[in-house]
Amino acid sequence: MALQLKRDYLDQKVLERLSTLQLHARLPMIGNVSGKHRSPIRGSSLEFAEYRKYVPGDDTRRLDWRAYARNDRYYIKEFEADTNLRMCLIVDTSGSMGFAYNGMSKLDYARRIGGTLAYIAALQGDAVGLYCAGETFHREIPPKRSATHLSTVLDELGAAEPTGETGLADTLHEAAERIPQRALIVILSDLFVEPEVVRNCFEHLRFRKHDVAVFHLIEQNELDFEFDRPMRFVDMEGGEPLLADPIIIGAQYRRALEVYLESMDEVSRDTEIDYHRICINEDYGDVLAKFLLGRTPKKRK
Amino acid sequence: MNFLQPLVLIALPLMLLPVIIHLINQQRHRTVPWAAMMFLMTAKRMSKGMARIRHILILLMRTLAIAALIFAISRPLSGGWLGSIGLAKPDVTMVLLDRSASMEIQDLQAGESKRSTALKRLTQLLEQGDYGTHLILIDSATGQLQEVDSPKALLSLPMTDATATTANIPGMLESALTYLKANNSGRADVWLCSDLHENDWAVDSGRWEAIREEFGKLEGVHHFLLSYSAPATNNLSVRVENVQRWQRGNAAELILDVIVRTEGSNIATRKVPIEFEVNNVRSVVEVELDARGASLQGHRIPIDGKLTSGWGAVRLPGDANPLDNRFFFVFSEPPMRKSVIVSDDARIGEAFRLALAIPPDARLQHQAEVISVNRIGEIDWENTGLLIWQAALPSGLLAEQLQNFVNNGRVVIFFPPNQNPGGQIFESRWNDWQTPNEQELYKLAWWRGDTELFAHVASGDALPLNELRTYRYRALESTGTTLAKFGNEAPLLTRVATEPGAAYFCSTLPTAQFSSLERDGVVFYVMLQRALAIGCRALASASQRDAALDVLADREQWEAVAPIENAPSLSQRGLHTGVYRNETYWVAINRSYTEDTAKAAPVETVDALFDGLSYRRIDVEVGDTSALANELWRTFLIAMMLALIIEAILSLPSKKLENNPQLDFTPAAESAD
Repeated sequence: MALQLKRDYLDQKVLERLSTLQLHARLPMIGNVSGKHRSPIRGSSLEFAEYRKYVPGDDTRRLDWRAYARNDRYYIKEFEADTNLRMCLIVDTSGSMGFAYNGMSKLDYARRIGGTLAYIAALQGDAVGLYCAGETFHREIPPKRSATHLSTVLDELGAAEPTGETGLADTLHEAAERIPQRALIVILSDLFVEPEVVRNCFEHLRFRKHDVAVFHLIEQNELDFEFDRPMRFVDMEGGEPLLADPIIIGAQYRRALEVYLESMDEVSRDTEIDYHRICINEDYGDVLAKFLLGRTPKKRK
Repeated sequence: MNFLQPLVLIALPLMLLPVIIHLINQQRHRTVPWAAMMFLMTAKRMSKGMARIRHILILLMRTLAIAALIFAISRPLSGGWLGSIGLAKPDVTMVLLDRSASMEIQDLQAGESKRSTALKRLTQLLEQGDYGTHLILIDSATGQLQEVDSPKALLSLPMTDATATTANIPGMLESALTYLKANNSGRADVWLCSDLHENDWAVDSGRWEAIREEFGKLEGVHHFLLSYSAPATNNLSVRVENVQRWQRGNAAELILDVIVRTEGSNIATRKVPIEFEVNNVRSVVEVELDARGASLQGHRIPIDGKLTSGWGAVRLPGDANPLDNRFFFVFSEPPMRKSVIVSDDARIGEAFRLALAIPPDARLQHQAEVISVNRIGEIDWENTGLLIWQAALPSGLLAEQLQNFVNNGRVVIFFPPNQNPGGQIFESRWNDWQTPNEQELYKLAWWRGDTELFAHVASGDALPLNELRTYRYRALESTGTTLAKFGNEAPLLTRVATEPGAAYFCSTLPTAQFSSLERDGVVFYVMLQRALAIGCRALASASQRDAALDVLADREQWEAVAPIENAPSLSQRGLHTGVYRNETYWVAINRSYTEDTAKAAPVETVDALFDGLSYRRIDVEVGDTSALANELWRTFLIAMMLALIIEAILSLPSKKLENNPQLDFTPAAESAD
């Protein structure tokens, strides 16, 4: 595929490296065209799925006469249906996503992840959509399969700016309701929301049969919290600034973060989402390769 | 607390340095945009508890460390009582030292007496601190002020040695007061070292009020009392009374009463040997001792009949107070007890003569002579012990003669004249004769029975003074002390304050028209014989005297007889026990009766004497020569180190963070993979 992309946040080398990998859904998808993903509906592909008993009304052309000859019973032979994938990128664009490491903010990192995944999905004929979640659901591009649509998605992704408070929870609930059919929901966020709120969102998405993948983006300084003097911490999402002495509260900060991360682990385990905690100083190509390989279906023996 | 380098304390505000640095650090904050505010808020909430306390403790430890360092450099001295001194140095330090015999009670293990302990501790304290421009010593024995070069000299001065005297604490304070007022001294520390004996302090004396008032007018005078009020745990004292020499043909014997007193609670019933030494001959008698002590009444010691006068000593084994284990006595032949009655009334004069001429003991020689007023020039003043004056009160030269007579230890009793009352003598004068409407009026309402002429007899029974009837008496105007008075408060017998002799005024006459004195006889006879005995003491060629500075001042050229070893210097003779001789006259000097019997005044009573003044009492134990004030800089350095160690421990990161400096970032699911 020779899509001409000029988005500077996408690294051509990473794209070339990942072009040999495919994006798989972990759950059967309902698409509108034939594709590479399993469908919950039986189809006419070459891959045998199962036998089932004949019931009146079934198409007699699908009867397995050899089985009838052996057993003197009517069986319908069913085959897997392959369909395409709808991938919806939900990118958190709240102010906290502007937190940067060596010039790269969490939103920059989310752009690279999201853009590359969109490219890979488009390359394998899947539909790609984009939802930007700031304070509200302020940008929505429903998934489509065309190359121009990919261009629109990438442009929109490049134009996203971190601003305002996070409305991720509302956005996720809204996305769960708005996306009509099963889809692969890729969430790119720092998830600075209470774990129980996040749990509700994920359960809602799972209830709607969506395959949910989460890239939890964290900056290394947020983990280390190493300061040697009192600091005035300005809330990037517009809240009240806070004057604190890291020497006094450092231990408590780390303890709170530890508890939070443990809770997120528990949420991801309970809701069976594809959870990836990413430190944004990691190479995003490696992160994506690991992500894609982790979703590759294992061969049946 | 006092400091040797108080100026260093100016740096004390530096202890706030950690707090100031902390506050400055708070102001030096950098602004940083931060995304993970939810964790910060949680951490802030959590840090309000133990973490905040920990941080406050760290600041406190740093502050304490600096404070302790400053205190250590300022060289603090221990002793809470020094707190009232403040930081100013005294201009004058006065040491008032009680050198009375009771101050020689020792701690037998340490071998230190109350006096020496007080001196050592005080010297040590004054050497450590600054005692000002002048260091003045007032000792109780001499009462004199002496400027001392250095505190150490206090230990070697003869004016700080032990004596057998009593102390006059109010008098010493008055001397100190006089010095401070005369020299316009500024800030002064008055150190008083005493065992609080009641007789030394005279707590009931009216002088205290004046002392308090005068000291109250002075600014910057601080009083410190080194109190050694604890009694001895095991002490015996010996005393000899009533020494008499009787001649029996060619032989003679001494009869004396020995009294052993106990002090302390560890006295068990036991036998105590008493050693007698007379004319270099020693003998030992054991007496049974109980909690109240022991007495040896009428102990007889045979002596050479030719030994008409001499001296002796009584000794006890060594105990807590070595000064009261020995008592000197002297003896001589009893003198002729001569009395003179001056009266123009032959009847009255005869009544007196009869009562005075009959001796109470056949071995005594009494002589009584009645002379009329116009024969006064014939009185043998030198050899007369008692003078009965029943005539107009004399004046002029004769009055002076009478005063000298009393000053030489003799006794005069004035009885009212029938007619002309005369002038005034001993600040007393006769007024008109008083005749009662009812005879009952002139029965005695009160008399002093514990001492003086109307004292109870040896058996403890009172004299029959309640049977005395007085029909006429002459009113007396006097500043003296009433010894017996009628129901209408008029005095029957008055004593005027005179030393060493005595002057009495009796307001009635012995004959029947005035009173029942002659008719009943007993009171009249006892009263006159007692007065005669007192007056004749001065006639004896041997006398016992209490130690005092001027006790030997009445004669010159005293020859020291005992003790031979460690004999005191000439100027100090009167202050120590010993025997002295001047031709045929003998004197034994001993501690006073009150030194053996007086108790320590309650500390509350003593404290009350200094009410309204800057005063601090320091109770110390005899033998405890530990410093009154110790340098505490080591303690403060240790405190500083402890504070720094605690600060370091508090500043250490918690164990969990130390073991896990990086959070486990990998999600649990991936970790499991």
